[in-house]
Amino acid sequence: MTLKDFWRNSKVGVIGGGSWGTVLANIASRNSREVRVWLRDEESVRLINTTRTNAQYLPELQLDERVHAFSSLERLFEGGLNAVIWALPSSACREQARIAAPYFCGDELILHATKGVEQGTMKRISEVLSEEFPCRRIGVLSGPNLAYEVARGEPAAAVVASSFSEVTDAGLALFTSDSFRIYRATDVIGVEWAGALKNILAIASGAVDAMQLGWNTKGLLITRGLAEMVRFSVSLGAQESTFLGLAGIGDLLATCCSPLSRNYRVGFRLAQGEKLEQILEELGSTAEGVSTTHTVRKFALDQGVSMPITEAVSLLIQGEASAQDMLHRLMTRPVGNLVF
Amino acid sequence: MRQGSNSTTGSHPVIRFQQIPIVPGPLTHLEKIRPQLLSEVFEKTEEDFSGASLDILLGEALYSERLRLKRTQSHFFTRSRLKKDFRLWNQIHSGLLKPAAEVDRKILLEQVIRHYAGEIGGHFDSRVYQLATRAVPWGFSWLLNAAGVKRFLPWGMTQSLESRLHILGEVPTLQRLAQKGTILLVPTHQSNIDSVLIGYIIYLMSLPPFAYGAGLNLFSNPILSFFMKNLGSYTVDRQKTNLIYKYSLKNYSTLILKEGIHSIFFPGGGRSRSGAIETKVKLGLLGTGLEAQIAGIRAGNPDFRVFVVPMVTSYHSVLEAGSLIESYLEDLGKHRFIATEDESWQLKKVIGFFWKVFSSQSTITVRIGKPLDVFGNLVDDEGHSIGPSGSIIQPVRWLTTRGEVQREAQRDMEYTRELGCRLADRFHKENTVLTSHLVAFAFFETLRRKYPEFDLFRLLRLSLPQRSIPYSDFLAAAETEHRRIVECSGRGEFFLSDDLKTGHTETWVKEGVRQLGLLHDVAVVKVQDEVISTEDMNLLYYYRNRLTGYGFHLGLKQHDSKGFLA
Repeated sequence: MTLKDFWRNSKVGVIGGGSWGTVLANIASRNSREVRVWLRDEESVRLINTTRTNAQYLPELQLDERVHAFSSLERLFEGGLNAVIWALPSSACREQARIAAPYFCGDELILHATKGVEQGTMKRISEVLSEEFPCRRIGVLSGPNLAYEVARGEPAAAVVASSFSEVTDAGLALFTSDSFRIYRATDVIGVEWAGALKNILAIASGAVDAMQLGWNTKGLLITRGLAEMVRFSVSLGAQESTFLGLAGIGDLLATCCSPLSRNYRVGFRLAQGEKLEQILEELGSTAEGVSTTHTVRKFALDQGVSMPITEAVSLLIQGEASAQDMLHRLMTRPVGNLVF
Repeated sequence: MRQGSNSTTGSHPVIRFQQIPIVPGPLTHLEKIRPQLLSEVFEKTEEDFSGASLDILLGEALYSERLRLKRTQSHFFTRSRLKKDFRLWNQIHSGLLKPAAEVDRKILLEQVIRHYAGEIGGHFDSRVYQLATRAVPWGFSWLLNAAGVKRFLPWGMTQSLESRLHILGEVPTLQRLAQKGTILLVPTHQSNIDSVLIGYIIYLMSLPPFAYGAGLNLFSNPILSFFMKNLGSYTVDRQKTNLIYKYSLKNYSTLILKEGIHSIFFPGGGRSRSGAIETKVKLGLLGTGLEAQIAGIRAGNPDFRVFVVPMVTSYHSVLEAGSLIESYLEDLGKHRFIATEDESWQLKKVIGFFWKVFSSQSTITVRIGKPLDVFGNLVDDEGHSIGPSGSIIQPVRWLTTRGEVQREAQRDMEYTRELGCRLADRFHKENTVLTSHLVAFAFFETLRRKYPEFDLFRLLRLSLPQRSIPYSDFLAAAETEHRRIVECSGRGEFFLSDDLKTGHTETWVKEGVRQLGLLHDVAVVKVQDEVISTEDMNLLYYYRNRLTGYGFHLGLKQHDSKGFLA
């Protein structure tokens, strides 16, 4: 059986029915036999199966008839799945993985689409999943993918990285469409960290816009921010070249320029002098970047990795300095002779 | 993954120095299946190269073999083997010069593979095995009694061996698993003595004989060679780097494992030059466990299992430490090209070693580690692979790709890479720290703290007054290090020998100083007039390195810019 035939006849599970999970399920349904989406909430499951849309997150996306929603993991895994797409926020990762673990057989290929790391432990999502699941063939999907743009069918692409080429092959087979391209990579560490670190810069980016600064400043922020991301990730074993790709600069540009991301909005309002607690309360959920900033800053200090922008964002979040002060501080840093 | 208990301290109860019935194992059939096995090696290897350009393949092999033959110095026992090699490669050379229409490249390849398969493949003669198993304990007993009591006490003094040779760890599990699947025993490698010792330990554990991947240089000693050849040993020649050899070797190992023949080889590739425990292992032969398991399952036995069992040997003193560390340092310093030294086996040296071990009341500690599956997961007593959070893994599922159990080169490579990483980790965790190791470590680190700006090579050139410190200062430092390693072993980073667990600082230091490098002509550490010093910095560094690989757990920097192993 050829690879393509195999995946055309495959059953795919998507765990997490947020906007991105729904979009991924819809793309995969065109390249497989059946896609089952797991959501915790039974009412949402019923609505998706009857209205063929995910009204809560992406009302305009018409779901393929091969997509079915489930609220029971047992039903989701019934008869075995060939691939599992993990599309939950990082805060829910460990807990949900423990719940789902007993349903895995061991031959499923797993791709996660989470951008973030486990709070406190700084473990990457693929590390968390491999600690919980009886599977080792795990990979990550990442890139400049704002869900509603992909849902509208605008041209976009993503990177699938895994140390197993089986997993990247699966990603390629399942997610390629006329308007969505997949690039393969092996640098899992780089792709995962790029996805997590860019959230810090999204906060900074919001702050820059709130101060009504122009493109020069944004360009400066993105470039020097990228340098920080590379320094940090390379010290953890990532490859530099990953950051020139979709998961690196690609995702960073999309995130820093789109005013819709939660992290961006946190930064925007912080720079206007609001308090973090108040902002988070009104947003109704945590922004990944906030916890990532603290964790990364602490680790960078311990390891002696220079990350001035992260440092500044961290102080801004804690309310210890205003955005103006931070900008001034960054601009008057002594000029080093580092290339990066 | 970590285990906190250090409860198994004494020798294991099953280890008794007495007559143990020889357990027949699959290896005893080796002679019967040998011709079949070798032709399977040939078929499989030929299949591996189907589609490859044979001209390039053979040309590369010819080139590297010519280089090897040029470098190798022949002596009395290796001459005939080298002659055969020369003859073969001359034939291949002239064959390759002729057009392919005239000389079929396939036939040339067949010639090479058959040559290698014949060289690699071992024999098993049960009469020789009986002889060896009777002679070796007798010899040991004689040495032990004669040396220990300084007079000849023929039988009965058997208890003493237990106090010299500690076999610790998962012995009963290993015995159980040997019934349930095929064992791939992978020891750390410090000394040529390992080869003799391991064979004896297998026997003491009442396990059936194991096939043994042994360095070709061990076969140059005629007596040893006779025993090795007839006890199922197959030869591993690390000098042969060409693909045809590598595949032939791998296929041999795969096929004997698939036949259910338990095997041993050193995954580190050779003896540790620095004195440190292997932090990297060679993946080629290691991956044959996985291949054998796939082959076994595909042959119709879905429960076919290969278990990878680490084994860590701790010596107070390593016979060839001097030449090993020198070669390591030269390599590191890149001062000049190092010709691969081929220390031939001298029986006199080996007997001398054991004599000294027994007469000096020195001990050898061997720990059988927790078994792993071919993916590097821990395995329980029943042979089940234990996954993360204690769940049981179905290996068949891990070997399933596109709905079928099959080989998948990239996937298998990745599984084996992970197994290699985990194995190196297990080696460190199954290590037993001896008093002498800690003395060397504490002393060396004290000197380092005294000269913090010196790099490795500068520190190794300290003058005698520079490398002498007051004994009381050293004792204080040793006590600090001791506290740290007790903490570490509590976290399961390694095990401690009994005298490190209970002893008063002065007691264990005294014991460690006495044991450290006992076999060398120079004193690795010497305590005289309340001053501790070393006569050989290189050797001190070698023994100190035994406690590296634990990085910051022992207060060492992970990225050491001054060249010290961390």
